[in-house]
Amino acid sequence: MRRRSTTALALAAALCATAAVAGCGSGSGSGSSAKKTVSTWVYPVINDPKANDAYWNGLVKGFEAANPGITVKVSTYPWANRDTALTTALSAGKGPDVAYLIPDQLPAYQRNLVPADQWMTPADKAAFRPSALKAVTVGGTALAAPVLMSSYPLLCDKKVFDAIGETTYPTTWDQLAALAPTLKAKGFYATSYSGDTTATLNMTFYPLLWQAGGDVFSADGTKSAFASDAGVKALTWLKTFVDNGWTPKDLVTTTPQIEQTDLAKNKVACTWQNTAAEVEPFWGKENIVVGPALGDTAAVAYGTVGTLAMFKGANTDAAGKWISYVAQPANSAGLEKPGGYFSPRTDAAPLYPGDAQQEATEKVLGSTDVGPLNKAARDVMGVLAPQIQAALLGKTSPKKALDDAAQAADQLIARKR
Amino acid sequence: MAAVAESRSRPRTRPQHVLRGPHARREARVGLLFVAPCFLLFLAFRFGPGIAGLVLGFTDYTIGDSTHFTGLDNFQRMVHDPLFWSSLRVTVVYSVIAVPFTIAASLGLALLTRRAFRGSRLFRSVFFLPVVTSLILASTVFIWIFSTKGPWSSLMGLLGLPEQSWLTDSALVLPALALVGIWSRCGYGMLILLARLQDVPRELEEAALMDGAGPFQRFRHIVAPQLKPAFFFLAVIETTNSFQIFDAIYVMTGGGPANASYSLVYQLYDAGFKYSDLGYASALGCVLFVMTVVVALVQRMVLGREK
Repeated sequence: MRRRSTTALALAAALCATAAVAGCGSGSGSGSSAKKTVSTWVYPVINDPKANDAYWNGLVKGFEAANPGITVKVSTYPWANRDTALTTALSAGKGPDVAYLIPDQLPAYQRNLVPADQWMTPADKAAFRPSALKAVTVGGTALAAPVLMSSYPLLCDKKVFDAIGETTYPTTWDQLAALAPTLKAKGFYATSYSGDTTATLNMTFYPLLWQAGGDVFSADGTKSAFASDAGVKALTWLKTFVDNGWTPKDLVTTTPQIEQTDLAKNKVACTWQNTAAEVEPFWGKENIVVGPALGDTAAVAYGTVGTLAMFKGANTDAAGKWISYVAQPANSAGLEKPGGYFSPRTDAAPLYPGDAQQEATEKVLGSTDVGPLNKAARDVMGVLAPQIQAALLGKTSPKKALDDAAQAADQLIARKR
Repeated sequence: MAAVAESRSRPRTRPQHVLRGPHARREARVGLLFVAPCFLLFLAFRFGPGIAGLVLGFTDYTIGDSTHFTGLDNFQRMVHDPLFWSSLRVTVVYSVIAVPFTIAASLGLALLTRRAFRGSRLFRSVFFLPVVTSLILASTVFIWIFSTKGPWSSLMGLLGLPEQSWLTDSALVLPALALVGIWSRCGYGMLILLARLQDVPRELEEAALMDGAGPFQRFRHIVAPQLKPAFFFLAVIETTNSFQIFDAIYVMTGGGPANASYSLVYQLYDAGFKYSDLGYASALGCVLFVMTVVVALVQRMVLGREK
């Protein structure tokens, strides 16, 4: 009798625990599509937390007033480990309805996203710059709405050029390499290349690959394409800089805080890995010379597009209205301007009238690439970045490094398909 | 007197604290009630996820996609994955460097601060400070320390060695990371050994001193045997800890140069959170778990045979 009652008690406890756990897992997050609450995850695109809160609170207030019955909750999360947080939340069924994503993330979350064709208005779609729309299109399907754009032209430090008595700024590989020995003789670096494997290759190596006429993936996306003559040329050029001490060797493996770098100490002549807003506190606005995209066979720069994407489980109508509202030029301007970003739309008024640097940066938007939009893009970076490091540190040749990486990459691509 | 003598000489065949009867059972139930919240939390947040991780290791689980049971596929893939063998080698080499040196440094610090002297508490606190310091924060400082222009490189120069960044050299990156690990962990080991050292009878050491035993002999024959349980505990804890090395590597090298510091947990992290390949990440976690258990058992056999 005692044993039976104990068993019954244990069974009841187990049921209670199961119910409790089930209760934990069925929270709001991405619940039924009948709900009119839109949870939104954003990141500190606006660095100042107070300004960031003020911007989003103002936007939510305006949207809710114009759309009675829809409630928007905006949560700002740190940039660091954002994928970890988002992946974990989605896995637990606690993901957001709308989130700020960059193009690089879109293929990775494609399964979880509601295609933009289901909620983007034709008027909005027609208003986006073609390069912005291309940056959110994966396999022919637009997955998000662009809300800002940036480009990474070649920035040069006038102070460094004054110190070596040079008045012409480089625009090509050959010109930069020709200046490098003079710069080194005077204690400067020609550039600062970040080879740390945690840094995205979209900003570091891929621009060189594109400039040499190469690409990361084949046109149909089924194979890697970086182990080409263009790839070897780009890596060999970069290795010359490391071997000759024209770029800080420590940066091949580590990424210190920007204030600890030679770039911040006015010791680096030019960079294609930073924006004017990033270097301005160290160089001073008057010393930033904005050039075109660095070029060899072609002049191409990295550029990113900030987007708002909708996750499955969201109320498509409510979340779509909210995204469209944020993407209106008048509303997204407050997000774009503090960080020096640009509007992804052609119907937006100029954000920086009279600012020569920003106008020069805006001109580069047309020749930017956001990086490969392939499901295996990150996996490929994972195998390519260490091989690039190995080549730069002289552990292997550029050709062998790229061939080895391509072999591993092709297996990964095949597995992801 | 005789009764007392008899009771003293009588061998104790039954444990002293075994309680019987209804009162004892009630007491046991109350005890279980007190333990229950902690036990349930352990089940929900430790044991449960652990079992879930084990199960996921046999699936192709990726977020937002249907999950299929794939049997041993993930483990077969692991066997043919050169990155797995490389990260396993990195983890083992790191542990081989970090664990003995951490215990040795802990022992050194414990012996230094064993006796009470003026400022001994301050020294103990200072040595313990790295344990409660954020390793992420400390790693940022260590990046500078190990940089080409940093103090470590200058020190090497003074010793007649090449002035170079240890973090850019495949052969030196793991010793550099192990140094950070030792720095951050030896304070904890010191505390454990210090507690044990307090229990070593002074009379034994004094008697050995009278017999003419030197400091090394006294340590070898009197102190060290007394520390054996603490050494065993530290060996298990430090091995587990070094098998899970991730944060310092993530901040300082990103697994580089050329995967020379890419550890097993780093691969697990990348597989799970960078490539959303959670099935494979879980399989890697299973291997790490088995490794930890096996090494702990071996350590128990070698170090912990005596109680």
